[in-house]
Amino acid sequence: MGSLFAQLAVMGSSLVLIFGLLLLWRRGSAAHIAAFTAQSVALAATVAVIARFTGSAELWVVAAMFLAVKGVVMPLLLKRMERRFGESRELDPYVNTATSLVIGGLLVLFAYIVTRPVVEVSQLPTRAGMPLAMGLIFVSLLVIISRKKALTQVIGFLMLENGIALLAALGTYGIPLIVEVGVFLDALMGFLVMQIVVYRIQQTFESLDIEQLNRLSQ
Amino acid sequence: MRLTFLALLGSPVLAALLAALARPYRAWAGAAGAMLSLLSLAAALRLAGRVLAGATPTWGPGEMMRVDALSALLAVCVSFVAALAAWLGPGLGRDAHYGPGQARRFRIFSSLFAFTMLAAVTANNVAVMWVAIEATTITSALIIPLTVSKASVEASWKYILICSVGIALAFVGTVLGYFDYIHLAGESESALNWTSLMAAAPAMHPRVVELAFVFILIGYGTKAGLAPMHTWLPDAHAEAPAPLSAMMSGVLLAVALYAIIRWKAVVGAAVGSTLPDRLLLVLGLASLAIASLSLVGQRHYKRLLAYSSIEHTGLMCLGLGLGPLGAFAALLHLVNHAVAKSMMFFLSGRILDRYRTTELGGVSGLLRAMPVTGGLFAAGMLALVGLPPFGMFLSKFALVRAGFATGHPWLMAAVLALLLIAFVALLSQVHRMLYGALPDGVAVGEGNRWGLVPLGLCAVLLVAMGLGGFGLLQALLDRAVEVTAR
Repeated sequence: MGSLFAQLAVMGSSLVLIFGLLLLWRRGSAAHIAAFTAQSVALAATVAVIARFTGSAELWVVAAMFLAVKGVVMPLLLKRMERRFGESRELDPYVNTATSLVIGGLLVLFAYIVTRPVVEVSQLPTRAGMPLAMGLIFVSLLVIISRKKALTQVIGFLMLENGIALLAALGTYGIPLIVEVGVFLDALMGFLVMQIVVYRIQQTFESLDIEQLNRLSQ
Repeated sequence: MRLTFLALLGSPVLAALLAALARPYRAWAGAAGAMLSLLSLAAALRLAGRVLAGATPTWGPGEMMRVDALSALLAVCVSFVAALAAWLGPGLGRDAHYGPGQARRFRIFSSLFAFTMLAAVTANNVAVMWVAIEATTITSALIIPLTVSKASVEASWKYILICSVGIALAFVGTVLGYFDYIHLAGESESALNWTSLMAAAPAMHPRVVELAFVFILIGYGTKAGLAPMHTWLPDAHAEAPAPLSAMMSGVLLAVALYAIIRWKAVVGAAVGSTLPDRLLLVLGLASLAIASLSLVGQRHYKRLLAYSSIEHTGLMCLGLGLGPLGAFAALLHLVNHAVAKSMMFFLSGRILDRYRTTELGGVSGLLRAMPVTGGLFAAGMLALVGLPPFGMFLSKFALVRAGFATGHPWLMAAVLALLLIAFVALLSQVHRMLYGALPDGVAVGEGNRWGLVPLGLCAVLLVAMGLGGFGLLQALLDRAVEVTAR
């Protein structure tokens, strides 16, 4: 059981990370939303695998929540935003695609270094996936910093949360359910508020390019 | 104690509900909210009294809420500033600048904002605290653009994005801490309680705990406005309506620091305080330096106050890295800053109402236009730069003494130099606002006099704290310091 479990966990984590890296080399918002959707499904599946092998009822609930909200509801909301603003493309990010991918690779390596003490301490069969989750966290930060469209930044933030959820699931088989629900509600509310602010940006600036947002630089 | 907790946390929720249900919005909803804010403050004071009597009130399943001296101190500060905002904010009738819709939005979200901060400082569970602090971003981001303008929308976007990311990183740290704990003690309901973490800390894995603390410090440090993660702060504080700026600057930064103090205690028990102290000193000095230098040549008075908030958070952060005396100084500074800075932001709101500009160049002759407002503004500025007889003189003095006592003379020399820069910058700017010719079209006279009463009370409190008239506060601070360095 141990080895199959471990392999599935690492495979799931790798998928989650790869969909995150997609954000770095695709430029259209449609592709970004698709990548986020696929990532959320992969995350839910990974959590379901952990639930299956550990027999934890709570984790099944968590997996179902991820699938429903991050895999279905949030992508629908994102698509609605995209329809309203029209396809937005990252034509001219602060860091170009090739460099971004190189930095992304380095960040994953860095994640392996950072998480070494954690992996050494852990006895769980899922531990090999933790550096990948940390890698996704760093890559999401890169996306948020290096991209200019508000929509891309929102997706980067959602992926950051996916990375944290994955880290928690792999490292601790899930935080207590009541806390998980609180965190989840917070994430959802945060996303909705971000959406409101993005709509306001669109209304007041008539653009989603955060380059426009430089009135307050002094 | 159940009733006290209910009064503390329930009153702001009830106030928000009343404002939401009163359709169309009526001033009585705001007035009821203002009364409820006093109930919340009374509850916080009662909890502080219980703590001073030696008790540690708890409430809820699995002791979910728990108030020790540190929590009580923060709860009093938060509910005090929230009460000021409720009494001075829009929505109490006769308001020229905000319509009923805006007043309702302010009432709902500022009350919820107060609730989330109070929940954060009284939660015994680290994850519940995290949820509450994350919720502070959500509740406050929606009322930064109370008046929609390009600048306020931009400020709220920066605020919500940067702070959400920061808080997410703090959650990574929380997960790592939890990870370490359950590998030690197994899963349990109380695993995420401060009390359990503190008890288990000595056996935790040093490297994992250190890694967790780095994430925690960067994460909550973002929310506390520590450099170099401070970039959202001047915009958000300058663009928000005055009562919200007061709450954000006066106590939100303190709540974020509170989270850092709690975790630092755990890390200190696990690996000793060398690493956390060093990190705090670096971040504190960086914040102090960036803020002091930004004060020079600043053109907007609300941004001036915002950068001064970064400066003071930096000072508190430095104090936390300087042993028990430093921690005492930091907490005393925290209380003084909560009172002084919220007073200043309310006064800046009055100035903005009169002069209709946030530019320093557009404000002059303040003492002639509004003598009391101007006088209080000057007093507040003297308090902020740390002159006697105000409380911040004592806290800064204690901080510098702590620095020398713990063997950081060079650090303290740098701190004193930076404080001097801030001193000159602030006082010269204020001088220009107070004196000089009145711009054309600015009326003379105070306007809403009743609004000055609570602000005068703030000034009195500041002087009282500076003259050592704070026996009970000192007792509470002493106990809080024990919590930080246990």
